[in-house]
Amino acid sequence: MSKTTKPLWQNPWGYAESFLIAFGLLLIGFLLEFTIQSNSGTSIRYPMNLILGGVFLTLLLVFYRLIKKSKLYLFLSGIPASIGAISVLTLLVIIMGVTPQVPMQDKNLITKLSLNQLTTSWSFLFINFYLLVILAFVIIRKSFPFKWKNWGFVCSHLGLWITIFAAGLGSGDLMRLKMDLHENKTEWKAYDDNGNYYELPLAIKLNDFIIDEFNPKLAVVENETGKLYEPTKPSMIMVEKDLTAQLHDWSVTVDEFLPLSGRAGEKYHPLHDFGAAPAAKVSVSTNSAEILTGWISCGSFNRPHESLKLNDNYSLLMTVPEPKKFSSEVTIYTPDGKKEDQILEVNKPQSVNGWKIYQLSYDEKMGKYSSLSIVEVVKDPWQIYVYIGIFMMMIGAIYMFWRGNKVRINSEQ
Amino acid sequence: MIWNYFLIAAGVSSASWILSALIPKKDIIRNLLVLTGILSMAVYIAFLWSSLERPPLRTLGETRLWYSLFISIIGLITYFRWRYLWMLYYCLFMSLLFLFINYLHPENFSKTLMPALQSPWFVPHVVVYIISYAFLAASTLVAIYGLYQVRREKFEAKYMQIADNLVYLGFAFLTFGLLFGALWAKEAWGHYWTWDPKETWAFITWMGYLVYIHRRYQKPGKYVSALWLLALAFVILLVCWFGVNYLPSAQFSVHTYSMQP
Ligand code: HEM
Repeated sequence: MSKTTKPLWQNPWGYAESFLIAFGLLLIGFLLEFTIQSNSGTSIRYPMNLILGGVFLTLLLVFYRLIKKSKLYLFLSGIPASIGAISVLTLLVIIMGVTPQVPMQDKNLITKLSLNQLTTSWSFLFINFYLLVILAFVIIRKSFPFKWKNWGFVCSHLGLWITIFAAGLGSGDLMRLKMDLHENKTEWKAYDDNGNYYELPLAIKLNDFIIDEFNPKLAVVENETGKLYEPTKPSMIMVEKDLTAQLHDWSVTVDEFLPLSGRAGEKYHPLHDFGAAPAAKVSVSTNSAEILTGWISCGSFNRPHESLKLNDNYSLLMTVPEPKKFSSEVTIYTPDGKKEDQILEVNKPQSVNGWKIYQLSYDEKMGKYSSLSIVEVVKDPWQIYVYIGIFMMMIGAIYMFWRGNKVRINSEQ
Repeated sequence: MIWNYFLIAAGVSSASWILSALIPKKDIIRNLLVLTGILSMAVYIAFLWSSLERPPLRTLGETRLWYSLFISIIGLITYFRWRYLWMLYYCLFMSLLFLFINYLHPENFSKTLMPALQSPWFVPHVVVYIISYAFLAASTLVAIYGLYQVRREKFEAKYMQIADNLVYLGFAFLTFGLLFGALWAKEAWGHYWTWDPKETWAFITWMGYLVYIHRRYQKPGKYVSALWLLALAFVILLVCWFGVNYLPSAQFSVHTYSMQP
């Protein structure tokens, strides 16, 4: 293999130029970030985003017209430029994958360069923009004149382009708001992360909030610190009727388990009160053959919890139960006078009037007695375009699976 | 009842799949045996569905049944298309493994998953990743072997073709895993992509293989750099798979589930 080295910036451009351009964009982005920090709060909304998208497409076509006969076009629609753009974007995303992406108050190099909020930084914007331009030229070059054998290529690349374009422009129009629903009250206002309130073209009345819980678990904690003690695994065991289990050095037997109970005198009794809590009577034996018996309970918002002291250092306790399933029975009203009964559940959003309503959370302190249900309402007018792009990429992926690299094997022979 | 029928169905599947590995001479017999095992799983799931009167997707045990079914189906399809016998056996082995775990832990059938995981997207999302990782791991083995042969100056172009094909297939599944994840996130949380650390690393992995594919496409003659790229891409994949939880960025991830009891 002979290696001829070509001076930089002399045609045809290759990998060196490609990486220089991509890194140059990165650098400019960071310099810009350092001087005028991009404001992560602002976003471009309808109709500005539509106009900007149109301007971008027009400029792209004009640019294409101007350079389509030049070497620059060949470069911008070629693999070296693609790989440079992909690699530098990857590098940026790797930084993102290593540093925590959360807002920070202090002023240091990280926050000055927005390394903690890269997705809204200039560099990220520039690189994505550059990638979009290159990808557009790649697609144009492979699509005109159109050959049927390129359909798989067009699906995957155009699909990706549409996805990035639509998701990018649409991000300003995406509204994700939260709504606090209280039982038997009707709510039509929603708020965003910054605490701004919005009136929605729908109102929701919470009829009932239902929560299904797992049994609580047994765990050992250190008396002094309250920390979970876990020299061996599993360090938590779910309470069940008649359970006998080994928890570290202790053998624990559940003699009695009451999912809903309250303490009265010496023991717990079944109880169907507001705030009734799980409790269990347990016997614990160590190797010293001494048996310790007592009641433990995780308590609830209005009942104390109770643990069993095993020795001077450790206690056995019952953890607060985790939710198995939670859902809200709601009635949704729309301005046209319609009303609809729906059930909102995690992973089962409902669509009303262009908004999607998701079950998000509840008052965790109250646990199963929560009369508050928090839902998220989302409006994403660009969703359909993103889905079209994703769908095209999927078809492209099936094509890839079916074709493999056969084309190339044949052409190499 | 549900348990006894499970034993029968799992027994039929295991027996026919193990047999399919033992009598490898006749292709048609093997395929029929594999198909029998798949059908037995499918029939059992259909039975479960109708007797529970809901899609059996709510518990750990139920989702594992689906893994078994889909992994074996994809294994068979891949075999029809590409004749990778090892992949067929890998898929059948993974299927049996999931059935076996269910057999060892009957209580899994009544353990429901945390609410966010109870979704029809969960199974396809996991299944395509399991398969993708197998293809990509295989391509890495080829890459390492290739690098070793390069050192011994005994490299043959056919290694590269095998590696390429494995990457193409693995990448197709990887793409599906990524996109299923995005669609699921939209369905469950209202947004496709939030740059959660796990998502971020999945994206980096995807980009890594993207670089490999395009580099190979442009310069089919350059082996050594491509082989190194392939090995590196797998290191990234491993970070994504195991390492993410140890990175400083992971404190805020939705993917670090506190495992269910
Ligand atoms: C990130 C943006 C991407 C860029 C800039 C890009 C760029 C390119 C370029 C320049 C080519 C060569 C076309 C030619 O000269 O014939 C190519 C080919 C190819 N790309 Fe991409 N690509 C991108 C994403 C993807 C994705 C997401 C996939 C797969 C899902 C993919 C799969 C392929 C395949 C399979 C080929 C070979 C085409 C063929 O066999 O006809 N690329 N790409």
